[in-house]
Amino acid sequence: MSEFDVIVVGAGPAGASAAIKLASAKVNVLLVDRADPPGSKNVSGGVLWGDSLTQVAPDWEKGPVERYVEAKGVSFLTKDSRISLDFRSKKFGEYKSGYTVLRTKFDAWLAKKAKDSGVMLVSGVTVDKIAMKDGKAVGVEQGGETITSDAVILAEGANSRIAYDSGLKRKPTDRNTALGVKEIIKLPEKTITERFGLTSPKMGFASEFVLGFLEGGVRAGGFLYTNKESLSIGAVISMAELRKNNKTYSFNVIEQFKEHPFVAPLLEGGRVEEYSAHLVPEGGISADSLNGNGYMIAGDAAGFTFSNGLVLQGMNYAIVSGIVAAESFLEKKEKGIQAGANFANYTENLSKTFVMKDMMNFKGIDKLTWSKYVHQTLPSIAEEAMLNMFSENGQPKKHLYKILTKSMSSHEESKLGMAMELLKMLRRM
Amino acid sequence: MKIEERLSLLNYKIDKSYEHITVNPSICETCPDHFCTFACPAKCYSLIDGTLNFKYEDCVECGTCDLACSHGSVAWTNTKGGHGVKYKFG
Repeated sequence: MSEFDVIVVGAGPAGASAAIKLASAKVNVLLVDRADPPGSKNVSGGVLWGDSLTQVAPDWEKGPVERYVEAKGVSFLTKDSRISLDFRSKKFGEYKSGYTVLRTKFDAWLAKKAKDSGVMLVSGVTVDKIAMKDGKAVGVEQGGETITSDAVILAEGANSRIAYDSGLKRKPTDRNTALGVKEIIKLPEKTITERFGLTSPKMGFASEFVLGFLEGGVRAGGFLYTNKESLSIGAVISMAELRKNNKTYSFNVIEQFKEHPFVAPLLEGGRVEEYSAHLVPEGGISADSLNGNGYMIAGDAAGFTFSNGLVLQGMNYAIVSGIVAAESFLEKKEKGIQAGANFANYTENLSKTFVMKDMMNFKGIDKLTWSKYVHQTLPSIAEEAMLNMFSENGQPKKHLYKILTKSMSSHEESKLGMAMELLKMLRRM
Repeated sequence: MKIEERLSLLNYKIDKSYEHITVNPSICETCPDHFCTFACPAKCYSLIDGTLNFKYEDCVECGTCDLACSHGSVAWTNTKGGHGVKYKFG
């Protein structure tokens, strides 16, 4: 007889969602997190597309969310220019939309939800390993002792120490790794609402950036999100490019972003309140198998993040994978579970959700999002085309098509080659 | 803003009895790239007169150095007992 039905490792969105779902079905759950309080080691850019959270925390929108995203932007930055798409819509309300969040606050709230729903929550305790017996996970090892359970849901996040040490996952390559570096910049609520042209103090702006101007050609994406009384700004740096460069300090990339002539004014008067860093899984599923005998892997630990340059998401995938892991346990339990049972049903159930469908449909998109085209060629063509289009030089006007082809021809690549790349890009996105 | 200044904003519960990351100086001595010094976002790795200097106290536990070091010098473990970085916002 195991001490717990399920041990969930990691109280982020994946782990907490799994735990709540299980506890509400009267399952005996231990949720363990190495941070004390839970959430105090968790970092993400900060937009929560939390529709799926409704299943486990129906009142999540009344929890510690910051601002509702009514304005979404994407920008290319070159040394001298900012080329942006800025989309604002009253209709966002009709769609499943996002809120900016600060993870230390939000995750602590969600962990408390878990506790209130009957989960045994233990924080400040570090699990060393999954306890294996005859090739089956039978619990977790902590400080030389084994705590037993019928199943383990591993939701430890991107820095998947337990999975590595338990032989469930290999360390990711540079291609599958990006480094996120972030700052919280304090500004008055009113200043944020006015500066970003928001319709009320409850409304927020979230924008992604391609940082096509970085020293030494380092490739990174940027993000800028509005919280109630602060901004979340950060850079997500390609590990492969940082290594190739081997001259740029990761912690200086975000400073280059902040100092950009058309970013700096947005931050003016702000005070840096916190600095943080976190790994970002790239390139999809990172574990050889998402399930095994007695265990399932969910959230960032499984590599469930999505980025196509326009959209950066992770928490929603974490939540859904956590819930599906819980459901897969319940499915097995109904049939009379044995400790260490194989949870192949987790992978099957997950493949019916957008989590796995997105992972499959957008497999290899990281090649595009980190490509030279996206980071250098495209921003510079766009810059030149915009300058030609939006300036007056006493000459007859040209058709947009002519302006574009002229901008393209100043590049070393052939026009046809570039057109093919663009087409490929659009299809992949 | 200098990295030292940014790090000074952070709260840590430092574990004086356990260094959760250790490096192997004999490997670092002959390392051709010292990529860790560029990759680590908390500047825990620095070269002082050509010798690699490592301090675990400023670590934000991202795990970058473990992946950055391709020479097998970094031994990375999780902090224990709630020690390490404590974010206010995250």
